[in-house]
Amino acid sequence: MSIVRINNLKKSYPTFELNNVSFALEAGRITGFIGRNGAGKTTTIKSMLNMVHPDEGDIEYFGMSLYGNEAAVKKRIGYSTGTINWYPRKKIKDIAVVMKDFYDSWNEELYRQYRSLFHIDEEKCAIELSEGMKVKCNLLFALSHGAEVLILDEPTSGLDPFSRDELLEIFEKIKQEGVAVFFSTHIISDIEKCADDIIYISHGRIVEALPKDEFRCRCMREGESLEDAFLRMESRERMERSERSHA
Amino acid sequence: MRNILRKEVRLGTLTIVYFFVLFGLMFLLPGYPVLCGAFFLTLGLYQNFRYARECNDLVFSALLPIAKQDVVKGKFAFSCILEMCCFALMSVSALVRMTVFSDASVYRGNALMNANLFALGMALVLFGIFNLVFIGSFFKTGYKTGRPFITYIVICFVMIGVSEALHHFPGMEPLNSFGFDHLGLQIITLTAGAVCYMGLTILSYRESCRKFERLDL
Repeated sequence: MSIVRINNLKKSYPTFELNNVSFALEAGRITGFIGRNGAGKTTTIKSMLNMVHPDEGDIEYFGMSLYGNEAAVKKRIGYSTGTINWYPRKKIKDIAVVMKDFYDSWNEELYRQYRSLFHIDEEKCAIELSEGMKVKCNLLFALSHGAEVLILDEPTSGLDPFSRDELLEIFEKIKQEGVAVFFSTHIISDIEKCADDIIYISHGRIVEALPKDEFRCRCMREGESLEDAFLRMESRERMERSERSHA
Repeated sequence: MRNILRKEVRLGTLTIVYFFVLFGLMFLLPGYPVLCGAFFLTLGLYQNFRYARECNDLVFSALLPIAKQDVVKGKFAFSCILEMCCFALMSVSALVRMTVFSDASVYRGNALMNANLFALGMALVLFGIFNLVFIGSFFKTGYKTGRPFITYIVICFVMIGVSEALHHFPGMEPLNSFGFDHLGLQIITLTAGAVCYMGLTILSYRESCRKFERLDL
Protein backbone atom coordinates (compact mmCIF):
# COMPACT_ATOMS: atom_id res chain seq x y z
CA MET A 1 0.00 0.00 0.00
CA SER A 2 1.29 3.48 -0.92
CA ILE A 3 2.13 5.64 2.07
CA VAL A 4 3.15 8.64 -0.02
CA ARG A 5 1.33 9.83 -3.12
CA ILE A 6 2.39 12.70 -5.33
CA ASN A 7 -0.41 13.74 -7.66
CA ASN A 8 0.07 15.93 -10.74
CA LEU A 9 2.58 18.31 -9.25
CA LYS A 10 3.19 21.42 -11.34
CA LYS A 11 5.55 24.27 -10.66
CA SER A 12 6.64 26.90 -13.15
CA TYR A 13 9.81 28.97 -12.98
CA PRO A 14 10.92 31.39 -15.70
CA THR A 15 13.35 28.84 -17.17
CA PHE A 16 12.08 25.53 -15.80
CA GLU A 17 8.82 23.71 -15.34
CA LEU A 18 7.87 20.75 -13.18
CA ASN A 19 5.19 19.12 -15.26
CA ASN A 20 2.53 16.75 -13.90
CA VAL A 21 4.86 14.87 -11.59
CA SER A 22 3.06 11.86 -10.10
CA PHE A 23 4.36 8.81 -8.28
CA ALA A 24 3.85 6.77 -5.12
CA LEU A 25 6.12 5.33 -2.44
CA GLU A 26 5.54 2.13 -0.52
CA ALA A 27 6.55 1.04 2.97
CA GLY A 28 9.64 -1.16 3.22
CA ARG A 29 10.96 -0.25 -0.23
CA ILE A 30 13.85 1.86 -1.43
CA THR A 31 13.04 4.20 -4.28
CA GLY A 32 15.80 5.80 -6.31
CA PHE A 33 14.89 9.14 -7.89
CA ILE A 34 17.24 9.66 -10.79
CA GLY A 35 17.77 12.46 -13.24
CA ARG A 36 20.52 14.74 -14.45
CA ASN A 37 21.38 18.03 -12.73
CA GLY A 38 18.48 20.46 -13.12
CA ALA A 39 15.97 17.74 -14.05
CA GLY A 40 13.65 18.70 -11.17
CA LYS A 41 14.71 16.30 -8.41
CA THR A 42 15.33 18.94 -5.75
CA THR A 43 12.21 20.93 -6.67
CA THR A 44 10.13 17.77 -6.30
CA ILE A 45 11.73 16.93 -2.95
CA LYS A 46 11.33 20.48 -1.67
CA SER A 47 7.68 20.36 -2.69
CA MET A 48 7.32 17.10 -0.76
CA LEU A 49 8.66 18.91 2.32
CA ASN A 50 6.47 22.00 1.73
CA MET A 51 9.52 24.18 1.21
CA VAL A 52 8.41 24.91 -2.34
CA HIS A 53 4.76 25.59 -3.13
CA PRO A 54 3.54 23.84 -6.27
CA ASP A 55 1.22 25.75 -8.59
CA GLU A 56 -0.98 22.66 -8.86
CA GLY A 57 -1.17 19.13 -7.52
CA ASP A 58 -1.41 17.44 -4.17
CA ILE A 59 0.91 15.51 -1.88
CA GLU A 60 -0.47 12.88 0.46
CA TYR A 61 1.26 11.13 3.32
CA PHE A 62 -0.38 8.27 5.20
CA GLY A 63 -3.67 9.03 3.45
CA MET A 64 -3.78 12.72 4.45
CA SER A 65 -2.87 15.80 2.48
CA LEU A 66 0.38 17.53 3.40
CA TYR A 67 -1.37 20.88 3.19
CA GLY A 68 -3.27 21.47 6.39
CA ASN A 69 -1.59 18.53 8.15
CA GLU A 70 2.00 19.71 7.87
CA ALA A 71 2.98 19.30 11.52
CA ALA A 72 1.36 15.85 11.86
CA VAL A 73 2.99 14.63 8.65
CA LYS A 74 6.44 15.98 9.47
CA LYS A 75 6.43 14.18 12.81
CA ARG A 76 6.33 10.91 10.88
CA ILE A 77 8.90 11.64 8.19
CA GLY A 78 12.65 12.18 8.16
CA TYR A 79 14.51 14.25 5.64
CA SER A 80 17.89 15.36 4.49
CA THR A 81 18.19 18.23 2.06
CA GLY A 82 21.75 17.63 0.97
CA THR A 83 24.23 17.62 3.80
CA ILE A 84 23.52 19.14 7.21
CA ASN A 85 24.32 22.80 6.73
CA TRP A 86 22.69 24.53 9.63
CA TYR A 87 24.24 25.92 12.79
CA PRO A 88 27.79 24.99 11.72
CA ARG A 89 29.29 26.09 15.06
CA LYS A 90 26.80 24.28 17.26
CA LYS A 91 27.53 20.87 18.75
CA ILE A 92 25.56 17.90 17.45
CA LYS A 93 24.27 17.24 20.97
CA ASP A 94 22.86 20.78 21.19
CA ILE A 95 21.01 20.37 17.91
CA ALA A 96 19.74 16.96 19.09
CA VAL A 97 18.46 18.43 22.37
CA VAL A 98 16.43 20.99 20.45
CA MET A 99 15.09 18.47 17.91
CA LYS A 100 14.04 16.14 20.71
CA ASP A 101 11.64 18.82 21.94
CA PHE A 102 9.65 18.75 18.71
CA TYR A 103 9.05 15.00 18.41
CA ASP A 104 6.79 13.11 20.85
CA SER A 105 8.13 9.90 19.31
CA TRP A 106 11.81 10.72 19.96
CA ASN A 107 13.51 7.59 21.25
CA GLU A 108 16.67 8.26 23.24
CA GLU A 109 17.70 4.62 23.10
CA LEU A 110 17.39 4.59 19.28
CA TYR A 111 19.36 7.84 19.17
CA ARG A 112 22.19 6.23 21.17
CA GLN A 113 22.10 3.07 19.03
CA TYR A 114 22.29 4.91 15.70
CA ARG A 115 24.88 7.36 17.04
CA SER A 116 27.10 4.44 17.92
CA LEU A 117 26.33 2.66 14.61
CA PHE A 118 27.25 5.79 12.61
CA HIS A 119 30.25 6.59 14.87
CA ILE A 120 29.06 10.16 15.42
CA ASP A 121 30.83 12.16 18.11
CA GLU A 122 28.10 14.43 19.46
CA GLU A 123 30.66 16.75 21.03
CA LYS A 124 31.71 17.81 17.54
CA CYS A 125 30.30 20.85 15.77
CA ALA A 126 28.59 20.37 12.41
CA ILE A 127 31.44 22.21 10.67
CA GLU A 128 33.93 19.61 11.93
CA LEU A 129 32.11 16.70 10.25
CA SER A 130 33.04 15.28 6.87
CA GLU A 131 30.37 15.27 4.13
CA GLY A 132 29.61 11.60 4.77
CA MET A 133 29.26 12.19 8.51
CA LYS A 134 26.92 15.11 7.85
CA VAL A 135 24.58 12.87 5.86
CA LYS A 136 24.77 10.26 8.62
CA CYS A 137 23.99 12.97 11.15
CA ASN A 138 20.81 13.87 9.26
CA LEU A 139 19.91 10.20 9.16
CA LEU A 140 20.56 9.94 12.89
CA PHE A 141 18.04 12.72 13.62
CA ALA A 142 15.51 11.25 11.21
CA LEU A 143 15.77 7.72 12.60
CA SER A 144 15.75 8.72 16.26
CA HIS A 145 12.15 9.85 16.02
CA GLY A 146 11.08 6.68 14.23
CA ALA A 147 10.43 8.21 10.80
CA GLU A 148 8.26 6.02 8.59
CA VAL A 149 9.42 7.72 5.41
CA LEU A 150 12.91 9.01 4.70
CA ILE A 151 13.26 11.66 2.01
CA LEU A 152 16.86 12.29 1.07
CA ASP A 153 18.14 14.74 -1.52
CA GLU A 154 21.35 13.42 -3.07
CA PRO A 155 22.65 11.82 0.12
CA THR A 156 25.48 10.06 -1.69
CA SER A 157 26.82 13.06 -3.65
CA GLY A 158 30.27 14.07 -2.53
CA LEU A 159 30.86 10.82 -0.63
CA ASP A 160 33.82 8.55 -1.23
CA PRO A 161 32.97 5.03 -2.55
CA PHE A 162 33.43 3.46 0.91
CA SER A 163 31.06 5.88 2.63
CA ARG A 164 28.56 5.53 -0.22
CA ASP A 165 28.63 1.78 0.13
CA GLU A 166 28.20 2.07 3.89
CA LEU A 167 25.25 4.42 3.46
CA LEU A 168 23.51 2.15 0.97
CA GLU A 169 23.90 -0.71 3.43
CA ILE A 170 22.26 1.45 6.08
CA PHE A 171 19.33 2.05 3.69
CA GLU A 172 18.96 -1.72 3.39
CA LYS A 173 18.83 -2.08 7.17
CA ILE A 174 16.28 0.71 7.53
CA LYS A 175 14.16 -0.81 4.80
CA GLN A 176 13.96 -4.07 6.76
CA GLU A 177 12.23 -2.11 9.52
CA GLY A 178 9.44 -1.12 7.13
CA VAL A 179 10.65 2.41 6.43
CA ALA A 180 10.11 3.80 2.92
CA VAL A 181 13.40 5.28 1.71
CA PHE A 182 13.25 7.81 -1.12
CA PHE A 183 16.54 9.22 -2.31
CA SER A 184 17.51 11.31 -5.28
CA THR A 185 20.79 10.77 -7.05
CA HIS A 186 22.53 11.19 -10.35
CA ILE A 187 24.87 8.28 -9.55
CA ILE A 188 23.45 5.31 -11.43
CA SER A 189 25.43 2.67 -9.53
CA ASP A 190 23.59 3.71 -6.32
CA ILE A 191 20.31 2.83 -7.97
CA GLU A 192 21.77 -0.39 -9.33
CA LYS A 193 22.97 -1.41 -5.91
CA CYS A 194 20.01 -0.84 -3.62
CA ALA A 195 16.86 0.57 -5.21
CA ASP A 196 13.71 -1.54 -5.42
CA ASP A 197 11.91 1.07 -7.49
CA ILE A 198 13.18 3.60 -9.98
CA ILE A 199 11.68 6.97 -10.77
CA TYR A 200 13.36 8.66 -13.70
CA ILE A 201 12.80 12.38 -14.22
CA SER A 202 13.94 14.43 -17.16
CA HIS A 203 13.28 18.13 -17.86
CA GLY A 204 10.69 18.30 -15.08
CA ARG A 205 8.69 15.31 -16.35
CA ILE A 206 8.52 11.77 -14.97
CA VAL A 207 9.65 9.51 -17.81
CA GLU A 208 9.40 6.19 -15.97
CA ALA A 209 8.31 5.10 -12.48
CA LEU A 210 8.69 1.35 -12.19
CA PRO A 211 10.04 -1.44 -9.98
CA LYS A 212 13.70 -2.02 -10.91
CA ASP A 213 13.10 -5.46 -12.43
CA GLU A 214 10.27 -4.17 -14.59
CA PHE A 215 12.45 -1.21 -15.58
CA ARG A 216 15.11 -3.68 -16.73
CA CYS A 217 12.59 -5.60 -18.86
CA ARG A 218 10.88 -2.59 -20.37
CA CYS A 219 13.59 0.00 -20.77
CA MET A 220 16.90 -1.83 -21.20
CA ARG A 221 18.06 -3.35 -24.46
CA GLU A 222 19.97 -6.57 -24.85
CA GLY A 223 23.46 -6.29 -23.32
CA GLU A 224 22.82 -2.74 -22.12
CA SER A 225 23.75 -1.66 -18.59
CA LEU A 226 21.49 0.53 -16.47
CA GLU A 227 23.85 3.43 -17.11
CA ASP A 228 23.73 2.90 -20.91
CA ALA A 229 19.95 2.75 -20.77
CA PHE A 230 19.68 6.03 -18.86
CA LEU A 231 22.13 7.76 -21.18
CA ARG A 232 20.17 6.58 -24.22
CA MET A 233 16.84 7.58 -22.70
CA GLU A 234 18.19 10.98 -21.69
CA SER A 235 19.51 11.71 -25.18
CA ARG A 236 16.17 10.57 -26.66
CA GLU A 237 14.37 12.94 -24.27
CA ARG A 238 16.68 15.77 -25.31
CA MET A 239 16.07 15.14 -29.01
CA GLU A 240 12.30 14.95 -28.59
CA ARG A 241 12.35 18.12 -26.61
CA SER A 242 14.39 19.92 -29.22
CA GLU A 243 12.01 18.68 -31.99
CA ARG A 244 9.03 19.91 -29.99
CA SER A 245 10.60 23.34 -29.54
CA HIS A 246 11.37 23.62 -33.30
CA ALA A 247 7.83 22.57 -34.23
CA MET B 1 5.58 27.55 21.80
CA ARG B 2 8.10 26.70 24.52
CA ASN B 3 10.02 24.42 22.17
CA ILE B 4 10.28 27.14 19.51
CA LEU B 5 11.57 29.65 22.04
CA ARG B 6 14.05 27.10 23.35
CA LYS B 7 15.25 26.55 19.78
CA GLU B 8 15.70 30.32 19.41
CA VAL B 9 17.71 30.53 22.61
CA ARG B 10 19.88 27.43 22.10
CA LEU B 11 20.50 27.58 18.37
CA GLY B 12 19.26 30.72 16.64
CA THR B 13 20.73 33.44 18.83
CA LEU B 14 24.04 35.21 19.19
CA THR B 15 24.96 35.39 22.89
CA ILE B 16 26.02 39.02 22.51
CA VAL B 17 22.47 40.06 21.63
CA TYR B 18 21.51 39.71 25.30
CA PHE B 19 24.03 42.43 26.19
CA PHE B 20 22.30 44.82 23.79
CA VAL B 21 19.38 44.79 26.24
CA LEU B 22 21.62 46.79 28.61
CA PHE B 23 21.36 49.75 26.25
CA GLY B 24 18.05 50.35 27.99
CA LEU B 25 20.15 51.90 30.79
CA MET B 26 21.03 54.72 28.39
CA PHE B 27 17.88 56.36 29.74
CA LEU B 28 20.10 57.39 32.66
CA LEU B 29 22.55 59.32 30.49
CA PRO B 30 22.27 63.10 30.71
CA GLY B 31 22.92 65.16 27.59
CA TYR B 32 22.43 62.19 25.28
CA PRO B 33 19.51 61.33 22.95
CA VAL B 34 18.07 58.62 25.20
CA LEU B 35 15.96 57.03 22.45
CA CYS B 36 19.20 55.83 20.83
CA GLY B 37 19.07 53.07 23.47
CA ALA B 38 16.03 51.65 21.68
CA PHE B 39 17.86 51.86 18.37
CA PHE B 40 20.90 50.02 19.78
CA LEU B 41 18.76 47.09 20.91
CA THR B 42 17.26 46.81 17.43
CA LEU B 43 20.81 46.89 16.03
CA GLY B 44 21.50 43.78 18.14
CA LEU B 45 18.30 42.13 16.92
CA TYR B 46 19.32 42.94 13.34
CA GLN B 47 22.64 41.15 13.92
CA ASN B 48 20.70 38.23 15.32
CA PHE B 49 18.57 37.94 12.20
CA ARG B 50 21.72 38.00 10.08
CA TYR B 51 23.24 35.25 12.23
CA ALA B 52 20.07 33.17 11.89
CA ARG B 53 20.23 33.63 8.14
CA GLU B 54 23.86 32.47 7.97
CA CYS B 55 22.96 29.35 9.98
CA ASN B 56 20.03 28.50 7.68
CA ASP B 57 17.82 28.81 10.73
CA LEU B 58 14.67 29.42 8.71
CA VAL B 59 15.12 26.27 6.62
CA PHE B 60 15.92 24.21 9.73
CA SER B 61 12.84 25.58 11.49
CA ALA B 62 10.55 25.18 8.49
CA LEU B 63 11.48 21.51 8.31
CA LEU B 64 10.55 20.90 11.95
CA PRO B 65 7.13 19.39 12.64
CA ILE B 66 5.42 22.72 13.22
CA ALA B 67 3.29 24.97 11.07
CA LYS B 68 5.26 27.57 9.13
CA GLN B 69 3.53 30.38 11.00
CA ASP B 70 5.00 29.00 14.23
CA VAL B 71 8.46 29.75 12.83
CA VAL B 72 7.38 33.39 12.45
CA LYS B 73 5.80 33.32 15.89
CA GLY B 74 9.09 32.14 17.42
CA LYS B 75 11.10 34.96 15.86
CA PHE B 76 8.53 37.59 16.86
CA ALA B 77 8.19 36.22 20.39
CA PHE B 78 11.95 36.20 20.94
CA SER B 79 12.40 39.73 19.56
CA CYS B 80 9.45 41.06 21.61
CA ILE B 81 10.81 39.45 24.81
CA LEU B 82 14.16 41.22 24.34
CA GLU B 83 12.37 44.48 23.52
CA MET B 84 10.33 44.16 26.70
CA CYS B 85 13.46 43.41 28.76
CA CYS B 86 15.10 46.53 27.34
CA PHE B 87 11.89 48.49 27.96
CA ALA B 88 11.89 47.29 31.58
CA LEU B 89 15.40 48.69 32.06
CA MET B 90 14.34 51.94 30.38
CA SER B 91 11.32 52.14 32.69
CA VAL B 92 13.43 51.63 35.81
CA SER B 93 15.91 54.25 34.60
CA ALA B 94 13.11 56.71 33.78
CA LEU B 95 11.48 56.17 37.19
CA VAL B 96 14.82 56.78 38.91
CA ARG B 97 15.15 60.05 37.00
CA MET B 98 11.53 61.00 37.77
CA THR B 99 11.89 60.36 41.49
CA VAL B 100 15.37 60.24 43.05
CA PHE B 101 16.98 62.57 40.51
CA SER B 102 13.96 64.69 39.59
CA ASP B 103 15.75 67.85 40.74
CA ALA B 104 19.30 66.89 39.76
CA SER B 105 20.89 69.82 37.93
CA VAL B 106 22.61 67.49 35.49
CA TYR B 107 19.19 66.41 34.21
CA ARG B 108 17.41 69.75 34.67
CA GLY B 109 19.99 71.55 32.54
CA ASN B 110 19.69 68.93 29.80
CA ALA B 111 18.97 70.52 26.40
CA LEU B 112 17.93 67.17 25.02
CA MET B 113 14.81 65.15 25.70
CA ASN B 114 14.08 64.19 29.29
CA ALA B 115 13.65 60.49 30.13
CA ASN B 116 9.99 60.44 31.17
CA LEU B 117 6.84 58.49 30.30
CA PHE B 118 6.63 60.26 26.92
CA ALA B 119 10.17 59.00 26.12
CA LEU B 120 9.12 55.48 27.13
CA GLY B 121 6.12 55.72 24.82
CA MET B 122 8.37 56.82 21.96
CA ALA B 123 10.75 53.92 22.66
CA LEU B 124 7.79 51.54 22.23
CA VAL B 125 6.89 53.26 18.95
CA LEU B 126 10.48 52.70 17.73
CA PHE B 127 10.31 49.00 18.67
CA GLY B 128 6.98 48.75 16.84
CA ILE B 129 8.49 50.37 13.74
CA PHE B 130 11.39 47.89 13.86
CA ASN B 131 8.96 44.98 14.07
CA LEU B 132 6.94 46.34 11.17
CA VAL B 133 9.64 47.61 8.83
CA PHE B 134 12.54 45.23 9.47
CA ILE B 135 11.05 41.94 10.68
CA GLY B 136 8.04 42.29 8.36
CA SER B 137 10.29 42.83 5.32
CA PHE B 138 12.67 40.05 6.37
CA PHE B 139 9.92 37.45 6.15
CA LYS B 140 9.07 38.64 2.66
CA THR B 141 12.26 37.02 1.32
CA GLY B 142 13.70 35.08 4.25
CA TYR B 143 17.18 36.43 3.54
CA LYS B 144 17.23 40.16 2.69
CA THR B 145 18.27 42.23 5.69
CA GLY B 146 20.16 45.24 4.25
CA ARG B 147 17.45 47.30 2.62
CA PRO B 148 14.82 46.72 5.35
CA PHE B 149 17.32 47.76 8.01
CA ILE B 150 18.40 50.91 6.15
CA THR B 151 14.74 51.85 5.70
CA TYR B 152 14.23 51.29 9.41
CA ILE B 153 17.32 53.38 10.31
CA VAL B 154 16.03 56.35 8.30
CA ILE B 155 12.56 56.19 9.87
CA CYS B 156 14.01 55.56 13.34
CA PHE B 157 16.35 58.58 13.29
CA VAL B 158 13.67 60.86 11.85
CA MET B 159 11.45 59.77 14.76
CA ILE B 160 14.25 60.32 17.29
CA GLY B 161 14.94 63.78 15.79
CA VAL B 162 11.26 64.72 15.90
CA SER B 163 10.91 63.45 19.48
CA GLU B 164 13.98 65.40 20.57
CA ALA B 165 12.77 68.58 18.87
CA LEU B 166 9.10 68.48 19.86
CA HIS B 167 9.42 70.05 23.31
CA HIS B 168 11.19 73.10 21.83
CA PHE B 169 8.03 74.06 19.93
CA PRO B 170 5.66 76.49 21.66
CA GLY B 171 2.97 74.66 23.62
CA MET B 172 4.77 71.34 23.51
CA GLU B 173 6.98 71.96 26.56
CA PRO B 174 4.91 69.63 28.81
CA LEU B 175 6.24 66.68 26.79
CA ASN B 176 9.57 67.30 28.48
CA SER B 177 8.11 67.25 32.01
CA PHE B 178 10.28 66.44 34.99
CA GLY B 179 9.22 64.18 37.83
CA PHE B 180 5.45 63.72 37.93
CA ASP B 181 4.55 67.06 36.35
CA HIS B 182 1.79 66.81 33.73
CA LEU B 183 1.32 63.20 34.78
CA GLY B 184 -1.95 62.83 32.86
CA LEU B 185 -0.30 63.86 29.60
CA GLN B 186 2.69 61.60 30.28
CA ILE B 187 0.44 58.60 30.91
CA ILE B 188 -1.57 59.31 27.74
CA THR B 189 1.60 59.46 25.61
CA LEU B 190 2.91 56.23 27.16
CA THR B 191 -0.41 54.48 26.56
CA ALA B 192 -0.50 55.75 22.97
CA GLY B 193 3.04 54.39 22.48
CA ALA B 194 2.03 51.00 23.90
CA VAL B 195 -1.06 50.82 21.65
CA CYS B 196 1.08 51.81 18.68
CA TYR B 197 3.65 49.10 19.55
CA MET B 198 1.01 46.40 19.84
CA GLY B 199 -0.77 47.52 16.67
CA LEU B 200 2.39 47.64 14.55
CA THR B 201 3.67 44.32 15.93
CA ILE B 202 0.38 42.46 15.38
CA LEU B 203 0.06 43.92 11.88
CA SER B 204 3.63 42.90 11.05
CA TYR B 205 3.18 39.41 12.55
CA ARG B 206 0.07 38.72 10.47
CA GLU B 207 1.69 39.99 7.29
CA SER B 208 4.86 38.00 8.01
CA CYS B 209 2.89 34.77 8.52
CA ARG B 210 1.11 35.33 5.22
CA LYS B 211 4.32 36.11 3.32
CA PHE B 212 6.36 33.32 4.90
CA GLU B 213 3.66 30.75 4.17
CA ARG B 214 3.92 31.56 0.45
CA LEU B 215 7.71 31.76 0.41
CA ASP B 216 9.70 29.12 -1.45
CA LEU B 217 12.77 28.27 0.63
